[in-house]
Amino acid sequence: MESLLDFARGPLFRLCFTIMILGLARILSLDVWAIYKAYRKAGDKRMPWKLILSRAWEWFFPVKRISRNFQMYSVISILFHAGLIIVPLFLLAHIQLWKGSVGISWIALPYGWTFSLTIATIVLAVSLFIGRLVIKQARLLSRKQDYLWLLLLLLPFATGFICSNLNISPQSYQFFMLIHVLSGELIFILIPFSKIAHCVLAPLSQVVCAVAWKFPPKTDDDICTTLNKKGAPI
Amino acid sequence: MRTNKISDEERIKAFKLAKKPEVIEKQKLNVRYHVEDFDVNDRPRRFLEAFAAILKHSNYRMALDHYSRVVSRCALCATTCQIYQATGDLEDIPCRRSELLLNVYRRHFTLGGLLKGRISGKDFLTDEKIQEMADGFWNCTACRRCTLECPMGVDHGLITHLGRYILSEIGIAPRALVVSTREQLEGASRNTSAIPIPALKDTLEFLEDDMLEEKSVNIKFPIDVDGSDYVFFPAVSDFLMEAETLMGIAAVFTATGDSWTIGTGYYDGINYGLFYNDRIMERIIRNVDEETDRLHGKNVLIGECGHASRTAKNFMPTFCGGKDARCVVSILEYTHKVWKEGKLKLDPNVVTEKVAYHDPCNFARQRWIVNQPREVLKSFCKNYVEMTPSGENNICCGGGGGTVSIDEIRPYRTTVGGKLKADQIRKSGCDILVAPCANCKKQLRELVEDQGINCQVVGLHDLIYKAIIFDDSLIVKKEGLIFDKPDFSSKEEN
Repeated sequence: MESLLDFARGPLFRLCFTIMILGLARILSLDVWAIYKAYRKAGDKRMPWKLILSRAWEWFFPVKRISRNFQMYSVISILFHAGLIIVPLFLLAHIQLWKGSVGISWIALPYGWTFSLTIATIVLAVSLFIGRLVIKQARLLSRKQDYLWLLLLLLPFATGFICSNLNISPQSYQFFMLIHVLSGELIFILIPFSKIAHCVLAPLSQVVCAVAWKFPPKTDDDICTTLNKKGAPI
Repeated sequence: MRTNKISDEERIKAFKLAKKPEVIEKQKLNVRYHVEDFDVNDRPRRFLEAFAAILKHSNYRMALDHYSRVVSRCALCATTCQIYQATGDLEDIPCRRSELLLNVYRRHFTLGGLLKGRISGKDFLTDEKIQEMADGFWNCTACRRCTLECPMGVDHGLITHLGRYILSEIGIAPRALVVSTREQLEGASRNTSAIPIPALKDTLEFLEDDMLEEKSVNIKFPIDVDGSDYVFFPAVSDFLMEAETLMGIAAVFTATGDSWTIGTGYYDGINYGLFYNDRIMERIIRNVDEETDRLHGKNVLIGECGHASRTAKNFMPTFCGGKDARCVVSILEYTHKVWKEGKLKLDPNVVTEKVAYHDPCNFARQRWIVNQPREVLKSFCKNYVEMTPSGENNICCGGGGGTVSIDEIRPYRTTVGGKLKADQIRKSGCDILVAPCANCKKQLRELVEDQGINCQVVGLHDLIYKAIIFDDSLIVKKEGLIFDKPDFSSKEEN
């Protein structure tokens, strides 16, 4: 078990992390390239940057959403996302691992904060899962991956919490730690190939929207020719 | 999740289908709007061919790829969609509607979808799916309010726009819009209301006489004046239905002295292309540009019409010269500018009723024209009230996206589409509702009539016409006497 854990923490972690970084870089590049190509084709090159930046800013700090419709969902979702990002990044144990392996470190959050945030994230993930099941609109729209993602994201938080806070036997600790590391690594691998790619793509949504409404000139001619409708009456 | 559903009685009224069963059978299409006969054979293949052609020559692929990757299906859009709020039908959730097209895209135009489809042999595009899209995309009013709510920033309005475009290429588009555009682009009158030039001139002369009588000022509608600052393109239906709006606009120009003209070569600002087909939109924009060229006009001026203003403003540079394209000005921008410059004096004692302002989606959703008309209104309407929500997050009149021109779906528009708007108008308690958009005005008038709301729907310039104060030098003297001269002594611009 111990050697397996070492393998998971070491080479496997490096592999999965690299896959995530490269995968995200790939889809981000593809997206940016597609936006650039579309912009080049567009007949109108003016861009409403003020609107784009203002709406992108609202996405980064979605405070306004709290006052909008369905406040409870918005609050839960925002806090859940905050937990997902803050806990893994600013947990002292994680930072120490980074320092031990690659020699870089940054400020860690106090134990009490990460403890509370971990519990909150677990509770919020369960709430979102129940919400998807109970709210008929969300249930109708949900795919299998929407439920599975919540469970998968829950796993490293729950196992991490058990390992850090509960008095368990070394064997159990190793078991839960292995699940913790492997589930985290599975998340890493899947991120670029699933809806979680929104972590890098969503900030571009407003640019995508603005450029998508910038049509290329002379589409009438081109499409008529392709569809063999040249000169056809309306 | 709260919904404000229509009653069972309203539902029956809204969903009563006006089409004959034999037409539905013949067209193999069960939708509420009328469609001209089209080739029903091999429809899925033709849909995919049209989709492929559009993807090849447009920028939609970029958006579809992005949206396919990020869509999170959280159903937040359901909380703002006025159609879903009224029907409570899950098919009306914007995200679900968008998925109809995104699924076709993923399955038939992405490598993963093609491989998955080949292996499973499932999920082909079928007639049933086309039926669902033909229904769903025309239930939507394309108001784009859900776009503000979507955490992923998915523009469901863009997907509706694209879905309608593809459907129209295989013959599925509301007959009302197709017939009007045919007249506009291929007919003798060259406008959607088929108004011939002699009738137009007669109407304008009649209005000029009326204005002289009412205001004692020679207010003119200049026709075919070469080299004007502004060539005017209103929604052509204004010549038939919105005389006071046109009179208000003419009065503003008389007060400012700026040069403007209406061209007899082409005088229709309406662009239904925005609602169902980009190719049509391009042709109409080119007509506007050519007419302005013919008259050597400096700027294009669009009347009180949201979609006409948005298409001209946004797409003139696209189709007519890029950064060198001529400037497009909405009459709301123009009036606000001259009012700010002090060239427009308005009497604050004329309009005493409670006035509210309705934001047309095509002006407000992108924060283009929100405060300008409010500032002008508040300067002379003492009893102004604001409806909530408003501005960028306004509630659509219920006839957006061209649906207002489809008369056969009026019961749907005034029960389902306009349900939330009707509630909002009632709550505001306004006597006069100002809607500076030809589409919104028609829909809102039908809405208040069908919903039994006691409220008058007018354009911004209708009220300006009532309150405008002309300079002494413009007052016409008759037999040495000044008649009906307004008293300026106690009236100041607020």
